[in-house]
Amino acid sequence: MNVLEINNLTKRFGNLVAVREVSLNVAKGELCAIIGPNGAGKTTFFNLISGFFPPTSGTIIFDGNDITRLATHERVARGMARTFQITEIFPELTVFENVRIATEVADGFRLRAWIGKTQTAKVHQQVEATLKLVSLETKAGRLVGELAHGDQRAAEIAMALALKPHLLLLDEPTAGMGDQETYQITQLIRKLHRDSNYSIVLIEHDMRVVFHLADRVCVLDQGRMLAQGTPQQIAANEAVQAAYLGQAA
Amino acid sequence: MQSRKLIVLAAIWAVLLLAPYWMVPLGGYTALATRVLVLGLAAMSLNFLLGFTGVLSFGHAAYFGLGAYGAGLTLKYLALSTPLAIVAGMLLGGLCGAILGTLIVRRRGVYFAMVTIAFGQVFYYIAFQWSSLTGGDDGLRGFARQPLDFGLLKLDILTDANSFYYFVLFCFALVVGAMGFILRSPFGRTMIAIRENERRSRFLGIPVERHIWIAFTLSCFFMGAAGALYALVNNFADPRGLHYSQSGDFVMMAVMGGMRSFWGPLLGAAVFVVLQDYLSSVTVNWMSFVGLLFVLVVLFFPRGLLGFFQRSRA
Amino acid sequence: MTLLLLFNITNGLIVGAFYVLMALGLSLILNLSNVINFAHGGFLVIGGYIAYALTPYVGFWGALLLAPPLTAIIGLAVERVLIRPLYGRDPLYSLLLTFGLAFMIEDGTRFIFGPQGKPVAIPPFLAQPLSNDLFFITGYRLFMVAVVFIAVALLFILLRYSRLGVRIRAGTLDLETVAALGINVRMLRSLNFAVGIFLAGLSGVLAAGQLGLEPTMGTGLLMPSFIAIIVGGIGSLAGTLMGGLLIGVASGVTAVFFPAASEAVIYVLMAVILLTRPRGLFGEEGMMS
Repeated sequence: MNVLEINNLTKRFGNLVAVREVSLNVAKGELCAIIGPNGAGKTTFFNLISGFFPPTSGTIIFDGNDITRLATHERVARGMARTFQITEIFPELTVFENVRIATEVADGFRLRAWIGKTQTAKVHQQVEATLKLVSLETKAGRLVGELAHGDQRAAEIAMALALKPHLLLLDEPTAGMGDQETYQITQLIRKLHRDSNYSIVLIEHDMRVVFHLADRVCVLDQGRMLAQGTPQQIAANEAVQAAYLGQAA
Repeated sequence: MQSRKLIVLAAIWAVLLLAPYWMVPLGGYTALATRVLVLGLAAMSLNFLLGFTGVLSFGHAAYFGLGAYGAGLTLKYLALSTPLAIVAGMLLGGLCGAILGTLIVRRRGVYFAMVTIAFGQVFYYIAFQWSSLTGGDDGLRGFARQPLDFGLLKLDILTDANSFYYFVLFCFALVVGAMGFILRSPFGRTMIAIRENERRSRFLGIPVERHIWIAFTLSCFFMGAAGALYALVNNFADPRGLHYSQSGDFVMMAVMGGMRSFWGPLLGAAVFVVLQDYLSSVTVNWMSFVGLLFVLVVLFFPRGLLGFFQRSRA
Repeated sequence: MTLLLLFNITNGLIVGAFYVLMALGLSLILNLSNVINFAHGGFLVIGGYIAYALTPYVGFWGALLLAPPLTAIIGLAVERVLIRPLYGRDPLYSLLLTFGLAFMIEDGTRFIFGPQGKPVAIPPFLAQPLSNDLFFITGYRLFMVAVVFIAVALLFILLRYSRLGVRIRAGTLDLETVAALGINVRMLRSLNFAVGIFLAGLSGVLAAGQLGLEPTMGTGLLMPSFIAIIVGGIGSLAGTLMGGLLIGVASGVTAVFFPAASEAVIYVLMAVILLTRPRGLFGEEGMMS
């Protein structure tokens, strides 16, 4: 069963073709890493999947439904959650408050002017559980903007998890992190994948992370899908090496 | 933490409840307090949108003015009932806001601000031109707030300044209570989320435009109520109350008091009204000074009076 | 009837041309710096009063040549001192500041020159109508349109071919990249602002000759300028041009059939545009959203 099926997705900006007929299938419980040189179109690809803008052509099937024309919030409602390269959080609210908003939306309370005692308690429980999953339960009362970079990213992932997603899209989750924080986030993602069985697609530049986590690796280059395979296969692939080395020139 | 908030709240209400008594020794008078209360309510209604949702509406006085005219016209032509007039004003402001909101919320930022200003001016223009209904440039007259008679409770709000003050305070409490209630609800939290990070809100599954429309409409209802009360203060509805300069005044009150604080705009209104009254009594060029005030606040005190006391954020 | 219609359309184009001049200046400042210059009407007034003050010494033509650049210099000073600190911040603050500034300018001019309207002498040959048939086209009104035409043409040439113009256009699309290319963005914004104010000052001189000069004349012209921009499309100067002419003509034509509604029709036009094509006639999808 595929949680995500992308067929010949193309995105043009005027004369620039950012994504060129990319196809990709992600099975349930799989962790797929998207790599590629800078400017390959990885973030544009993510933007297409998450509904930031519509594709020029091609289709996106999510959980068996065609979501190609759906708006962002509708995709989220169907179970797609995303994090960003530059962490998008509510900096002047506490960790708890951040995750609470996500939880309330996921529980269907976003339009409510009032929720009863039992429901409030249930929301609290859910927030605590989510925070525990990302090991932030001790920092629940801190303002997210004041946290270390790694913790901010964990908080962002917590918000994504609070949405009870079927698919997690992580855009460069270790961007801008030192070794310690990279390890922290990688362990978290591994735990989510292995223990909680989340389906995950992530964009990464750090090859150690990719090799540590990915079931499958897809290489994008200049908007096209260059190669797909296991990490070992990709590492040995000559075309991939050329694409990366060619960039270094 | 919780008890400190309760103490502050109690203090605020004590000040408001006892206003007619502590104002007089300071050289004030009850009608001034009533005016401040109503304008403060308007500023708080605007801030519901501006400070808590992060949406810049600079034409909000239109709904204030609509509330005033709604109340005045009701009293003049429909029924001699003050409560009905207030409800009518509130409905007029709110419904117009709901309709116009659908047009406006598709855009944000400066474009949104410009469109709200332009729409506000439409109403100003209508009030000015439709003089057979609204009295045109002279404003709407010929109506007066009616004494309240609930059988057991009689309030002569027409002639007794203190009675009217307490009646207005009661209405104020109702509206402000609703505002506070909503802000503490899950919906209110989505408003704050949108203010804090619109993109993230969208990617949490919040249909941002729809939520902004709801917040906009609610703030217009509150604004209409404030406007209705204002018409009752002087038994007069002024077309200038719809002009964008009135909107500017309300925004300034919110900024001066502190946009991120719930009670800030009320404080801002008090300071602004007192200052403006004082300036216009000592100099004929009070307009330059009010303009200067705008400039100085923006450059040097953008977080407002209560902004100094907020917990310092990252 | 046709003559009346022609009269009003022509009138509308003349008024529209005037709106265009104001709106273009406003648009320039809005597009590059994201600032709604509420004080734009105030700078129009300043331009007019400077012309009034200069006319006894340098005559009408001298005033026409000198007043706009002098107004622009004042604009530069204002931008440097008051507006520059606000660029990184929420657009709310620049809106409030220019709003307060408008008050100060209006009251200031009232203080210096008095509340009464001041006459500005225009050369007598311009005051004559062109002919008895075309009595509604006075020489001055044609002159106004000619000046606007020249000014707009020069503006578009500046934007298209000069280095400053190219930078302004690039900055409007992507200010970050322009900064990354090593261009002094602060100076760019200042000069852009000055160009916008130059146009406002020029409008002021022209308006003074046509409408007479008084401290509140700027505010009445601000709203139509806003609407010209909204109708034409934010981010597009060509759109602003079209928008200004369109609302001028619409206003003129409506005056034939429903004189009382001639002012209201521009608001109706705006509502129609917002309903059917929210980005404006020439606006780009995604601008300012």
